[in-house]
Amino acid sequence: MEVKILSAKFAIKDAHKLRVAQKHGAYATLEKLFAMPPAEVIDEVKRSGLRGRGGAGFPAGVKWGFLPKDTGKPVYLAVNSDESEPATFKDRYILVKDPHMLIEGIIICSYAIGSHDTYIYIRGEYTSQVKALQAAIDEAYKAGYLGEKVAGQDYRIDVTVHRGAGAYVCGEETALLESIEGKKGQPRAKPPFPAVAGLYGCPTIINNVQSIASLPYIIANGADAYRAYGTEKSSGTHLFGISGHVAKPGMYELPLGLPLLEVIDKVAGGVWKKRKLKGIIPGGSSTPVLLPEEAETVTLDYESMAEHKTMFGSGGIVVLDETVDIVALVKNLIDFYHHESCGQCTPCREGLGWMLKIIKKILRGEGEMADIDLLRELCDNIEMKTVCVLSAACTMPVRSYLDKFRPEFEAYIAKAGSSAPAVQQE
Amino acid sequence: MSDRSQLIATGKPFKFDRKRDASFEYLVTRYPTRESMILPALWLTQEQQGWISQEAIAYIAERIGTYASKVYEAATFYTMYHLRPPGQYHLCICRTLSCWLRGKQEIVDYLRDELGLVPGETTADGRFSLEEVECLGHCGTAPVVQLNGEFHEEMDVKKLKALLATLK
Amino acid sequence: MADTVKLFVNGVEVEVEAGKNLIDAIGAVGIEIPHLCYHPALGADGNCRMCLVGIEDGRPPLVPACKTPAIAGMKVLLDAEHIKKIQHDVMEFELINHPTDCPVCDQAGECKLQDYYMSYDGRESRMTVPQVVKGKKMDFGCGVVHDQERCVLCGRCVRFCRQITKTGELGIINRSDQARVNIFPGQPLNNRYAQNVVDLCPVGAMTSADFRFKQRVWFLKKASGICHGCARGCNITIDHNREKYQDDLIYRLRPRHNPLINGYFICDDGRMSYKGENGNRLSEARHGRVARSTDEAMIALAGELATAEQIAFILSPNSALEQLVAVQALAHQLGAGVTGYSDGYIKEGDGDDYLIRDDKSANRAGLELLGIDCSRDGFLAAVSQASLVINCNNDLGLSFATDELTALFAGRRLVSFASHQRDLNDMAELVIPIASWSEYPGSVVNCQGILQTFPKALSKNHHPEDLRTMIGRLGSPLQSLADCRNRLAELLGIPGDFAMIPAEGLQLNESEATDVNP
Repeated sequence: MEVKILSAKFAIKDAHKLRVAQKHGAYATLEKLFAMPPAEVIDEVKRSGLRGRGGAGFPAGVKWGFLPKDTGKPVYLAVNSDESEPATFKDRYILVKDPHMLIEGIIICSYAIGSHDTYIYIRGEYTSQVKALQAAIDEAYKAGYLGEKVAGQDYRIDVTVHRGAGAYVCGEETALLESIEGKKGQPRAKPPFPAVAGLYGCPTIINNVQSIASLPYIIANGADAYRAYGTEKSSGTHLFGISGHVAKPGMYELPLGLPLLEVIDKVAGGVWKKRKLKGIIPGGSSTPVLLPEEAETVTLDYESMAEHKTMFGSGGIVVLDETVDIVALVKNLIDFYHHESCGQCTPCREGLGWMLKIIKKILRGEGEMADIDLLRELCDNIEMKTVCVLSAACTMPVRSYLDKFRPEFEAYIAKAGSSAPAVQQE
Repeated sequence: MSDRSQLIATGKPFKFDRKRDASFEYLVTRYPTRESMILPALWLTQEQQGWISQEAIAYIAERIGTYASKVYEAATFYTMYHLRPPGQYHLCICRTLSCWLRGKQEIVDYLRDELGLVPGETTADGRFSLEEVECLGHCGTAPVVQLNGEFHEEMDVKKLKALLATLK
Repeated sequence: MADTVKLFVNGVEVEVEAGKNLIDAIGAVGIEIPHLCYHPALGADGNCRMCLVGIEDGRPPLVPACKTPAIAGMKVLLDAEHIKKIQHDVMEFELINHPTDCPVCDQAGECKLQDYYMSYDGRESRMTVPQVVKGKKMDFGCGVVHDQERCVLCGRCVRFCRQITKTGELGIINRSDQARVNIFPGQPLNNRYAQNVVDLCPVGAMTSADFRFKQRVWFLKKASGICHGCARGCNITIDHNREKYQDDLIYRLRPRHNPLINGYFICDDGRMSYKGENGNRLSEARHGRVARSTDEAMIALAGELATAEQIAFILSPNSALEQLVAVQALAHQLGAGVTGYSDGYIKEGDGDDYLIRDDKSANRAGLELLGIDCSRDGFLAAVSQASLVINCNNDLGLSFATDELTALFAGRRLVSFASHQRDLNDMAELVIPIASWSEYPGSVVNCQGILQTFPKALSKNHHPEDLRTMIGRLGSPLQSLADCRNRLAELLGIPGDFAMIPAEGLQLNESEATDVNP
């Protein structure tokens, strides 16, 4: 089931080095690229159907089309390498194993949108990854792929790596821009959208690492070759991360549209330890959970996920076996989103902390039935009342666990008052 | 997150060493505004002295030409900046979803029971400090531990023991 | 009014100013959209989420009113159930970690959380888990005391220090519900406008060390005034009260919005100038070494005027136009000299490029418009020619040393109309207490040439009389306030009468200023 489009060079020794990467085709598209007018590049990307791989799935070429023309201001490209959504670990492979594919993608995108300055925003935790990426950029500069005359053309591209420092919210594109500007990563209200007023108030395109890294293949082989993978509306391939209770967790490149359960069984080796499946988180921790029976008809594409009232997200699939304590899992989730709330909007700032304390109370065996309803209601009261979707990233999955596993919460309440605390607190 | 407002004053002035000074002067050319240097300057500081003191924040603000309150905001907002000296060996254990599912708690329990190492604390001899952190992006090889920034994947108590044994 | 657009609020058509955001546009026609973080002087931030309104047929259907411009035909929903629910929900989130100790909170009575709880919430707390603990009673400098637990993180104070004073002492540190306002250690508030953060704070998080716990705000009487601390003439609200068996005292001054002069703010010096109104007052008349009633002193003064060979009046740049014109008219009648020399009021280099002026008097422009000589030479000439000098509350101690004054007035009879105790009073034969600026109605012209009127705010126990009426008692042809104002209207070329002066003042133009020739 696996394919090797983005991951073509991942298994090649030292493919992160320019010399090796070049031997395997890196930067080979540039000659073709600079022979195309930029508008044609955008058209090709539009035709490929490439959708933003950061989680929202917005068509990349369409996004580029939002840039206003001739503003007299520089156009910035910001590459989102913040990859912080729990269960997401795909971009890291590109950064370490094939960084030149990303740099080549940056050149393609920059040329298409008329940008000369790129900032790659990489999460601070990626310590060795940032070194690998910087080394590749340095090599690219030396070889003339970056700098004043990219590949000998009269086109300047400068790429700067900007390190985050431990803030999930910076994966939100406007928080990312704030962070590059030296501020706290607090999302901006939209409009204006970044394409109009982004980094330093200038038109800015923000794309995920994987989206950008998909460009060399599209330009080299054409939109149709890319479209040959995946489905009509969800074209191409994706680097899926499969983690949790499977026999062979890991990162796998797959075309979109494959049946979820089949992928878990055949690619990831099925549920580990011969245990039964309890649930599947399909696209990172913020996506609503699927019960095994719901998962039966799910395929790995944007449309199928939406039909099943969940989301494709970042393609980070988490498998939960029968032993998982859902109440404890929900506490783990709320803990994460509360910790990462930027503290700007009242409902998220105050509400997630409240939810965390309630779920802890339930876990301590001190909960009441009303607490379950209160948690459920708080999800509604917080969601979509804030500048960004961080709060929804918490409330959407929490609501799904409350609705699909309510008896487990009730069992904790029923146990309340009995002598021993229900579970050990972290 | 816990409150990070308490800064530590060393009583000694801070300034970049020659290497960081050069890095600062290079990086500042990469951005159209000096305020963009707030995060990079905090990183340079942490690289130089392992953590960020009150004096360092004041120095960065002065150096960039911005309000100390803005640097203070960034230093307390971004949780990877150490606002107190970490141990000689700083362990970060991922506490989020996939690592939690794959047994990170056993590692935390081991460190607490065997080494008396509690998340958020540094051992009295200053050798070890432990932090439970949010998702480190290594979910496919969970659970993951970072030791002084280096990733150690598919960890368990046995492998952790072996890792700790290699430390002086 | 500027261009207007018609839109619908709860289905009812209203006409509002174009180009404004919904809070201001709709607010101007009397419909409140609750908000905490938005402030017209600081712009929209959009963090409190209290101003979320529905836009019927809109995309998106839910928007923050502070960031949404009023557009023709827009259908704004405020009273829909889902909007009311959001307001209630946001209030609930604001209050879960807020200490409910209103009875001991200094903000009680003028707190947005209290007001909004009554208007938009009104439900019982569902909070059954421990609240977040933060810092209390923190000294932020400049007389500002901060309570992090009461703070709603609206960021107005932070934005004020960054956008208005550009001193940036405050920041919101941490994130999540650990976020809190703080100063960087060792760098407290250090600007001359810092206490505005107390007014800006919609809740009890920023309080004034000077004012807190002195009065419950609902006992305070509020009067409009003009600050007399410098030539800017900032608009203020005078909060005063007479407690049982006490004098009528001012407890605080607060800025009053005037877009032409001070916007929404005042400086801290001006704010603290109320202390001068309360303390060190001259309360009793004196003739020689003997205390007299004001009436007795006035009879004595009338005698002095009748017998004096040559009289000189010294005017103050802090006196109201009505007082100045009354004295001027009397002096004219008596053939007396008039001087307004007061260089000592000017603190060279003290002003800034915002509100504070070098000139610490409120009406020097008024003196000059009336053609009153303010030169040192003119002053010395007037005094040296006079056998009787009548000082009308000019604090000459600012312009001369005490021994200089002693030498100046040697051999002359000196009368001092004074609102305050001053060294000069000791040199005077006759000392008569008068009202200070918060105790009489009047008008002043500020450094921009804007004429403003103000009413009487306080009534002191010692009943100090307005200098203007005392001058009237001495036979000035301008007997009433109306007489004075009609004369001023004529002199200054004010169209109509003083009642026509708009609330934000009247800009006197250059030609009017030069036309004046009394």
